[in-house]
Amino acid sequence: MTVEVLLFASLREAIGESSVRLEVPEGATVSEVAGALLREREITHMADLPVRYAVDETFVPDGHILRDGDRVAIIPPVSGG
Amino acid sequence: MSKTEATTIDVSITDQPIDIASVRAGASSDCGAVAEFSGVVRDNNDGQRVQGLHYQCYREMAEAEARRVAREVMDEFGVRGVCIVHRVGDLDVGDLAMYVAVTAGHRREAFAAIQALVDRVKDRVPIWKKERYADGERRWL
Repeated sequence: MTVEVLLFASLREAIGESSVRLEVPEGATVSEVAGALLREREITHMADLPVRYAVDETFVPDGHILRDGDRVAIIPPVSGG
Repeated sequence: MSKTEATTIDVSITDQPIDIASVRAGASSDCGAVAEFSGVVRDNNDGQRVQGLHYQCYREMAEAEARRVAREVMDEFGVRGVCIVHRVGDLDVGDLAMYVAVTAGHRREAFAAIQALVDRVKDRVPIWKKERYADGERRWL
């Protein structure tokens, strides 16, 4: 199945795109998909950061299972305010 | 809360300078307290001289999450109006980055609510800042 991954801040800069489309196995969780993307792109600076995930503009747990066509955002620690 | 008590939530993420005069936390004739907080770009962080900031946001979610935060704070603290405005884009030292306000019957719930509101916005609303330093370097926080 295919999902779209939205990228922000340092991760967007490291990958050089604001979003990527990925083929992922059925039943993949948000953290598995994000982990695979970071490994594939050799992104290491986020390893120790408390990253969160959102689907449909809402935070979801790391183990949230994605469905075909989902749009998942990788949310590095926020720093507004 | 009785049905006659109106509540107001006003949320916006903007790339324009924030005009405080145009945003209000739902003033009401039976509310005696308005608490406000302004977040302003500081000229230093972690010992480095900061020249300015760039804020990036996940716009659709930032507004949705800010609304969820506003609703929660309203319900938990019994305040009647909540306003959250955050600027994005390029800001200079001294610029207003965030303005939040609450309207309540009395000061006690207004003070408690404004603190919770600021903390939750900073913890949850997907906005990121990149600092621009005097030596030309830039870094995401």
